[in-house]
Amino acid sequence: VLACQKVRDKARLVAAHLLECAPSDVEFTEGAFRVRGNPDQAKTLAEISGAVFAAHNLPDGMEPQLDSEATYDPDNFSFPHGTHLVAAEVDTETGRVSIRKYVAVDDVGRVINPLIVEGQVHGGVVQGLAQALYEEAVYDEGGNLLTGSFAEYLLPSAADVPSIVVDRTETPAPGHPLGIKGVGEAGTIASTPAIVNAVVDALRPRGVHDIAMPLTPERVWRAANSSSEVTA
Amino acid sequence: VIPVAFDYVRPSTVDDAVSALRSAGDEGKIIAGGQSLLPVLRLRLAAPAMLVDLSNVTGLRGVRVEGDELVIGAMTTHADVASSPVVRAEAPVVAAAARTVGDRQIRHRGTLGGSLSHADPAGDLCAAIVAAEGTMVLHGPNGRRSVPASAYFTDLFTTAAQPDEVLVEVRVPRRPGWTAHYEKFHRTAQAWAVVGAAVAVRRENGAIAEVRVGLCNMGPTPVRAHAAEAALAGAVDLGTVKAAAAHAGDGTTPASDISGSAEYRRHLAGVLTARAVAKAAGL
Repeated sequence: VLACQKVRDKARLVAAHLLECAPSDVEFTEGAFRVRGNPDQAKTLAEISGAVFAAHNLPDGMEPQLDSEATYDPDNFSFPHGTHLVAAEVDTETGRVSIRKYVAVDDVGRVINPLIVEGQVHGGVVQGLAQALYEEAVYDEGGNLLTGSFAEYLLPSAADVPSIVVDRTETPAPGHPLGIKGVGEAGTIASTPAIVNAVVDALRPRGVHDIAMPLTPERVWRAANSSSEVTA
Repeated sequence: VIPVAFDYVRPSTVDDAVSALRSAGDEGKIIAGGQSLLPVLRLRLAAPAMLVDLSNVTGLRGVRVEGDELVIGAMTTHADVASSPVVRAEAPVVAAAARTVGDRQIRHRGTLGGSLSHADPAGDLCAAIVAAEGTMVLHGPNGRRSVPASAYFTDLFTTAAQPDEVLVEVRVPRRPGWTAHYEKFHRTAQAWAVVGAAVAVRRENGAIAEVRVGLCNMGPTPVRAHAAEAALAGAVDLGTVKAAAAHAGDGTTPASDISGSAEYRRHLAGVLTARAVAKAAGL
């Protein structure tokens, strides 16, 4: 964003030069630099770029390029936040966990491309779900990896993933010029504890307070049926 | 990832296939749909010197009725077995298991004969053929012989077929009026069964008259749960079914591995058998 601003500021000088007016009389709207009060007098960004490339009619001493680099040193971190809710069903006879409903509400600041943001949330949720229920590097006593292929190291496929309801609030980040935050890890961070907590909550009447991840069916079955508080 | 080099022949008759296997000695391997064999080759768990491809052999595909038997060609795909109205009517437990194999692509390539020859203890069809009391017809240098399911699966990934015998068809007693269900417990949609229960039921006056139970992954071979079958006969409600099915794991020797301990598998066998019986019988 800061690099774009530098490009825009430099292009404004070129536009003012070509339009024979003061840079302060030029405004940038809808992809073109226009003379304030006389919007038909305009140079598009493409025209500016062509003039810079041709380099024979530029303000004195200006380097003929629009390249720009900027380093962003934020005043503060951005704080994406959110809440994920999971309704899980536990089959206490087999230990199978089924996710009945998944709702993810995140605040990742200002959203520029909603499709990409939702895709990031979906992907993150599934990664976290995999950590909660499936993925595990298992070694034998001799230190040999027993989960060396995707036949043993389980990953969920589309058929194993619930439909995910994605919603958001949009609170612009104060420390960023566009108000954006991060979204990449939002799903991953929330989904693992949300799923595990849902399962533990479902088994709370049976005296279960924790189950080691991943929640394999056998671990869940043992947890559901081993507590001394079982009364059923 | 890349198999060891092998010779490849594609005969057009079973006799030619047998000759090719004879010439390869112990180093020949039949390839049907390739859904079990190719991963094994690519992981270099096996390195046969010759592959004998049965895809050009005519007469090994399809389903027909002969007297009181249903005859399923060894090269019939899982998809064709699952969708065959004849199999669904006469041997519903086989159709039910075929429906659950792998994924859609695998079911359209993989074959009944391939699954039964591979003899994976986790194989869905192996358990179903045990429950259906099927007979394997093997074609060798001296003609054909029949081996019942109870004698066909001899050990882990091992069958009674000799290296120069081709499994050509599976004969299943017709059981019209029986209902069936295959209850497969697997961790993800495409994973192998941790345990699977293939169940066929005949009802009489509302009660369960006869039951056949085949289990996969409860030992080195698919097993028949005779004790549970006997206990289930006469069951009339879910309570008696559950109590009787709890015997399904009796006498089995399942492995303990990353998918589950032997104790868990024995427990699952009872639960899955009860569920399969309940669904098959409409309880």
